[in-house]
Amino acid sequence: MADATPPAGGAAAAPASAPAPEPKPKVPFSPILLKHINEPGSHTIAHYQARGGYETAKAHIGVTDPGALIKLVDESGLRGRGGAGFPTGKKWSFLAKGTGKPIYLAVNGDESEPGTFKDRYILEKDPHQLVEGVILTCFAIGSKHAFIYLRGEFILGFERLEAAVQEAKAKGFVGKQIFGKDLELTITVVRGAGAYICGEETGMLSSIEGGRGYPKIKPPFPAVSGLFKCPTIVNNVETISAVTHIVKNGAAWHKQWGTEKSPGFKIFCLSGAVKKPGVYEVPLGITMREMIDGYGGGMKDGKKLKAVIPGGLSAPVLTAEMVDKCTLDYESLASLGSMLGSGGITVLDESVDMISAIYNTMRFYHHESCGQCTPCREGTGWLEKVAHRFHHDEGHEGDVELLADIAKNMRGRTICVLADAAAMPMQSYLQHFKGDFLAKVKETPFVEKKRTYRDEISPTAKKLSATGAGPSAMDVGSAEKQ
Amino acid sequence: MSLSQNVPNAGAPAFGPAPVSGATPATRKKEFSPERMAKFHDYAEEYPNKRSALMMTLRLAEEEFGSVTDEGIEIVAELCNMPVAHVLGMVTFYTHYKRPFHGKHRFMVCATLMCALEGNTDAALDQIQAKLGIGPGEKTADGLFSCEKVECLADCDKPPVVQKDNEHFCSMRGAVLDKYIASLLNKEGKVESDYAGKPAVAMDTRVPTIPAHFNFTGESETGARKTENKDPYWQAGQGDLTTKVPAPLATPLTVPVADGVNGGRKPSSNGHKKGGH
Repeated sequence: MADATPPAGGAAAAPASAPAPEPKPKVPFSPILLKHINEPGSHTIAHYQARGGYETAKAHIGVTDPGALIKLVDESGLRGRGGAGFPTGKKWSFLAKGTGKPIYLAVNGDESEPGTFKDRYILEKDPHQLVEGVILTCFAIGSKHAFIYLRGEFILGFERLEAAVQEAKAKGFVGKQIFGKDLELTITVVRGAGAYICGEETGMLSSIEGGRGYPKIKPPFPAVSGLFKCPTIVNNVETISAVTHIVKNGAAWHKQWGTEKSPGFKIFCLSGAVKKPGVYEVPLGITMREMIDGYGGGMKDGKKLKAVIPGGLSAPVLTAEMVDKCTLDYESLASLGSMLGSGGITVLDESVDMISAIYNTMRFYHHESCGQCTPCREGTGWLEKVAHRFHHDEGHEGDVELLADIAKNMRGRTICVLADAAAMPMQSYLQHFKGDFLAKVKETPFVEKKRTYRDEISPTAKKLSATGAGPSAMDVGSAEKQ
Repeated sequence: MSLSQNVPNAGAPAFGPAPVSGATPATRKKEFSPERMAKFHDYAEEYPNKRSALMMTLRLAEEEFGSVTDEGIEIVAELCNMPVAHVLGMVTFYTHYKRPFHGKHRFMVCATLMCALEGNTDAALDQIQAKLGIGPGEKTADGLFSCEKVECLADCDKPPVVQKDNEHFCSMRGAVLDKYIASLLNKEGKVESDYAGKPAVAMDTRVPTIPAHFNFTGESETGARKTENKDPYWQAGQGDLTTKVPAPLATPLTVPVADGVNGGRKPSSNGHKKGGH
């Protein structure tokens, strides 16, 4: 299989188990999910079985009581790693029972939150732990069919996961009569095609059903009426992979790390202005400083830290003072008005213009809004346009209030949380970097039509209209260079 | 004038099969290759209904024709028993399917914040502009190369991330990107001077309209519609899944008005009456 590792060479060999200063928790921790990613052939079943793979599934499938497995995961305190942090065991126990319909498991590998790239490593380097997790989860919830949805850009991940499923099928771990028991399991790997919204659980279900990735209104929650209107459990790739290790080692083992409310370990993705960006698997509850200065090796080029986006692009931004107080668990970040989200930490240094950062962010959400709900479809567009004005030093008087007003009116008024995801960073930038905005308000009265949004955003439109073909659909491909 | 006539470089066949006469345009390749058909049947078997196999079947069309062409869309619609409009809606909703307006080699440069920091995105775009003469949203005049700005490609620790069709590259700037472009040019038997500084063509991302004569699969003239969008676990007694056109209301909501009044389309012989009454 062609390895699509970049010609940059070795760049994919992430410093996952970098020799970092010893984390403070009582129990020493070494990576679990990412332990083997740097070993050659780690994606093959031979490698996985050589390190005890599929033994857990063999021991439990058709033997243990499924209810006991759910209880075990519940006791372990595992929380969803996709972003919302909902307790996994609790989610499983909400599953509608006795409907007579099949139960589905849908594994979310869309990973579209900018700044997050943890699932890529699991899928490309160690997909069998995910497959084993799927087998265990399906047994626990009584499902015979699991879908794993990957984003379209995970080309190597898709190939390797498909190969892993086929390998498991050949060994009799997936398919009919798994592990020699009277149980069956089909695993279908679906490849998406580039839509952020398919990372939202119901949007993903719409996509698997063969439609545009439109989120559906909740309730009914997927656990009651999800995929094909059947009870469905939706979990992140990392969550399901962690299930494998929790079932293997027990709930108490998982709880020895992390904090009381956020037990366990999590993969964090460090990007931006640090010396050693990459994926780091750490116990929850370590400090943000430890992540940036310890694992990340400190700031690049000795620059000063200006802000940190702690949980993917949609997480409200943290200022340098907040970073000092912050620990990496769900509660600490919530108390600072942000969120742990998907664990994508982006460090912004003093050279970053916060206005261009927020304009870039807003452009992303405008492009990715699915267009179902008016507050989001229009609101993200307005936010982008006003941010575009600031980006070009042409902010109007009152624009700061306008941005705050739009953001406020977007939140909580849509089917899914994309509108909130766009409004939250805007609100936090306005709160912490208001001065940057005000500095860009134009002093002289605004001259209309000096620079129109459309001209810049779509040079294509201009060219086409010059040839008499009319304006083009606005697309990111022709978006203005920033 | 229909939109398709407006489209520069639009090939001879408009969207959909040839009208009235029913003759198939000579360019239309009717079927997938047997291997791809076998793959489709595998999908169709694995998924609870044919509709849900759409995402993967579109990928087959992409492989078969090099991009998701109009005929590819028709074939997929037929195979999955869905209206062409639905499939077209899918293709335009998702950004990743390769379409005929893209170049043979489609560069996608991540422009989201993590890549854009420290000017990484701009560096990659500038290099592509310098070597191939194309900016974002453009393709070379011969249609071999195209360039786009896209949103996050999920490898944010190694910016800038660039995807070329189905190949993924990180830290793609400087010598690495130059070398890669050179290798592509070499493969196509071209040299840098063929493109550098030469005018580029804007990619026309519009979709042609679907001709009115096109009969959607399972859709009759009366509007009754049967699609594969059924609950595979639907049980007898839950009612028919066919959506019927509702009968006209016994009492019309609005009193019919004469031609030319209240926005009537036909110009009345009395000339245009504004506002009616």
